[in-house]
Amino acid sequence: MSPGPVTRAAAGGLTRRRVQTVVIGLVLLVSTGASVLALALVADSSSPFDHAFAVQHGAHVVATVDPVRATSAQLAATRRLPEVTAAAGAFAEVTVTPKMPGPGGLTMPPTTLVGRASPGGPIDDLTLQSGHWAQRLGQIVLSSDPSPGSSVSMPLGTRLIISSVPGKPTLTVVGIADSVNSSAGGWVVPGEIAKLRAPGTPAAAQMLFRFRSAGSAADVRADVAAVAKDLPPGTVTGTESYLAVRAQESSNIAPWVPFVVAFGVIGLVMSVLIVANVVSGAVVAGYQRIGILKSIGFSPGQVVAAYTSQAGAPAVVGCLGGVVLGNLLAVPILGQTANVYGVGTLHVPVWVDVAVPLGMCALVGIAALVPSLRAGRLSAAQAIAAGRAPRQGRGYAAHRLLGRLALPRPVTIGLAAPFARPARAAVTLAAILLGAAAVTFAVGLGQSLGRVAEGLSHSSAEPVQVFIPSASPGGPGLVGVHVSRVHVTGPQGGTVGPGHLPTDAQAQRAVTAALRAQPGTAHYVGVSAGQMITVAGLSQQVAMTAFHGDASWTGYAMISGHWYTGPGQVDVATGFLTDTGRTVGDTITMTFGSKQVTARIVGQVFDTHNNGLAILTGWQTLAGADHGLAVDQYDIGLRPGTSAPAYAQALGSKLGPAYLVNTNGRDQGFPIVLGLIGTLTLLLAIVAGLGVLNTVVLSTRERVHDLGVFKAIGMTPRQTIAMVVCWVAGTGLAAGVIAVPAGIVLHHYVLPVMAAAANVGLPASFLNVYGGAEVAALALAGLVIAVVGALLPAGWAARARTASALRAE
Amino acid sequence: MDALVRISQVTKRYDNDGRPAVDGVSLEIAPGEAVAVMGPSGSGKSTLLNLIAGLDRPTSGTVTVAGERVDKLSETGLARFRRRRIGMIFQFFNLLDDLTVEDNVLLPAQLSGLRSGQARARAAELLAALRIDRYRNAYPGRLSGGERQRVAIARALVNRPELLLADEPTGALDTATGEEIGQLLRDLNASGQSLVLVTHNPDLAARYASRTVQIVDGRLADGQLAELGVRR
Repeated sequence: MSPGPVTRAAAGGLTRRRVQTVVIGLVLLVSTGASVLALALVADSSSPFDHAFAVQHGAHVVATVDPVRATSAQLAATRRLPEVTAAAGAFAEVTVTPKMPGPGGLTMPPTTLVGRASPGGPIDDLTLQSGHWAQRLGQIVLSSDPSPGSSVSMPLGTRLIISSVPGKPTLTVVGIADSVNSSAGGWVVPGEIAKLRAPGTPAAAQMLFRFRSAGSAADVRADVAAVAKDLPPGTVTGTESYLAVRAQESSNIAPWVPFVVAFGVIGLVMSVLIVANVVSGAVVAGYQRIGILKSIGFSPGQVVAAYTSQAGAPAVVGCLGGVVLGNLLAVPILGQTANVYGVGTLHVPVWVDVAVPLGMCALVGIAALVPSLRAGRLSAAQAIAAGRAPRQGRGYAAHRLLGRLALPRPVTIGLAAPFARPARAAVTLAAILLGAAAVTFAVGLGQSLGRVAEGLSHSSAEPVQVFIPSASPGGPGLVGVHVSRVHVTGPQGGTVGPGHLPTDAQAQRAVTAALRAQPGTAHYVGVSAGQMITVAGLSQQVAMTAFHGDASWTGYAMISGHWYTGPGQVDVATGFLTDTGRTVGDTITMTFGSKQVTARIVGQVFDTHNNGLAILTGWQTLAGADHGLAVDQYDIGLRPGTSAPAYAQALGSKLGPAYLVNTNGRDQGFPIVLGLIGTLTLLLAIVAGLGVLNTVVLSTRERVHDLGVFKAIGMTPRQTIAMVVCWVAGTGLAAGVIAVPAGIVLHHYVLPVMAAAANVGLPASFLNVYGGAEVAALALAGLVIAVVGALLPAGWAARARTASALRAE
Repeated sequence: MDALVRISQVTKRYDNDGRPAVDGVSLEIAPGEAVAVMGPSGSGKSTLLNLIAGLDRPTSGTVTVAGERVDKLSETGLARFRRRRIGMIFQFFNLLDDLTVEDNVLLPAQLSGLRSGQARARAAELLAALRIDRYRNAYPGRLSGGERQRVAIARALVNRPELLLADEPTGALDTATGEEIGQLLRDLNASGQSLVLVTHNPDLAARYASRTVQIVDGRLADGQLAELGVRR
């Protein structure tokens, strides 16, 4: 026979079994899309900085040059050095000190601004996160990753005063952009730079370089030396290697990678499982027809070809569509992931777009080939018999047992059905289990990360803070303050004003009096925060926070030990213990000027400030030392039911413009992380639901005649839907019950891995987030996935014409 | 006496251009009658049965059974109608292979919400009456054709329907077994059970039905009127 009959047989199968064809195509579409996304997440998480660096054409070296010592031609000539593969610049740059509007407004740390006409370019291709590029004088685009130690959020439209320049020009924030190199704190149009340079300040410019060989610090040093040698002496005044940025970014990214990878792996495994189940199930469902084809003369090879084609055709179409879908999904999801990682942009690697559809097609081929070959080997009569109802005897005991339950008969018949096709039921259970486990994992992860965010911000324990103004030149500042916990709410934010600045003692009296008088105050404690000190045995400086009073309520989560209870006791963060090799119970020696203070470590707290090199203690521990510390802020706990914004507003009005009163909020990245978790979980649940849909479609097709009989003897549409849903409800419930401990185990594995990557310990309370009620609700996740996946085909079954169903064999 | 079944000018088309499967048929069946619907293959007799049972809807015309307008009922209404008023017997039995004989018989009663004890008592009564009570825990796959048809009859009778519809009930049986089943149906009719029997076998129609209706190409044969027909 010619190939024509094979094609006709395959085409006939495709058109005759439209629902099955659509389901195969749909499952491949979603599974391929999910796999593209999952593999992209895994691939991009392996070295997200490197991916972003490649995509954004990062610079191996950001150099600051003196444009007076070298001419433009000399600077341009560095492009032609043999070591250099690309160069950009010179971009004029200047370092300024921005301030918030209003007299005596909040002063920000010194910020480097670079003049660039556009965000794009051959090197350091900037990614606009919001707003637009500066188009004229008076506009600024801020970096989304400002100077270290500061994460002040700056809404678009904020007007910054450049206080370091005569005339105090203003710049309006029109955009937020990301540089993979963190090459500047902000960008302005090139003509703006000259206006921002204070008189007497030397000119500076930024050059960006990519080198042929820059894999190691030694390579980069050699490249920089080659550039410097090509320019007049003293031209290159400073350089920053991408390796240092990468090290910093990698330490920021590392904590998030485990959970992203976990979702990615679950997605891949689930997709493979469901595709194999769908395709092989479709071929098995066609055994009767295969038998008929064989009985009219089709050879085994032709049968295999027909059925492999019949399953393969919609699968290939679905695959190709899935690649498009995956790339479309990747835009928001990889965008969210890039935000979490802080790398500006992530893309689907090209090899993923090739490997996934090829892999899926191979999987489809194998899943179709195996049952097709089996059918090809059967005789026509055997194939016809195999294609009818499941093997006699399977599930009978289940029907007998379940029939005795005091449940509606359609329910018990439905619950017994999976036992007739145990292999299919097992695969369906596995798919639902993965989806439900992902839900359990996601719920726990979200709660844990919420506690992490709270542990970092202390926003529940101390929702309001008062910052004491310093009398340093330039007006009130935030020197020595935990700037990472400040949220400045736009041009209207901040209440610091001009005029007479109080002394420390006056400030303390004024603040404490106001706090005692303010309704809603529950606790307050004066804090000397962020002072850097020396500790014996450590080359790096350690951040010291000293409390002037009881601070046990301030919300620091204990990892081990206890909060200090008296003088001579300190609590430290995990990084301190790791870097010093100390443990709880050991003593440390702190140096303040000429005096040394010894104290015992009584507890390990959850704190990532200064990369975990942090000490917390009471003021009394430092008594007698020449520590130079002063109260620079007050942390305030409120009575239940007190509105923090209203409290802050009232307190600020009472204290006056010399003081900054702020509400304490969580890191703005936290909602992005929650959004990413939610999106990934939903996608996995949808894939699991599609697996259920396929199972029910196959089962309704197999049992269409039985459905006709049920309806003929009086089963109503509602009873039919109940029965069909119950075909998978029992499986879903079982999967959900198993998924809960599986998801909890995954959570308990991933969280510590994330914490270890962040070089921070994990308080037990951050792991123990699953309450009894939650576990009970999560156990129903599998049931929900199963019911949702089954409802559509159950409705079709209920609406099917009884007379037609009875005629089906 | 009011007709148990009244079919009035019923037409059924499966597609707009083709010949109707049933074309303008009018028919009345009195309570207690045993009516045979005869015709060649493709004549529309099974379609007519399906319309009476509410398994299909007429394109036009009305179908009334026990005073209920079957053609107007919703799907749920039709299912409840079949439970209460109709018992169906099929040529190929249409038993559920993964349920025991007893469970097959109980099914319509359970779908109706009949209490378990009452349903089991009724099933036991029918199994005994049909002489298949020893097979109550067996599965249909293990029974002979005649035994399976008895199970199907028991299932059809469990809810005490007003009308029994049998579509070629002996078509898949050997002659002797067919005779047994036919006699069974006749005995049921003799005890007052209304019966509509679809068959292409004139002997069966002659022996077990009190009236025969001929249908050809979807229409009642020439010379037959709905109210008259041929009575025995």
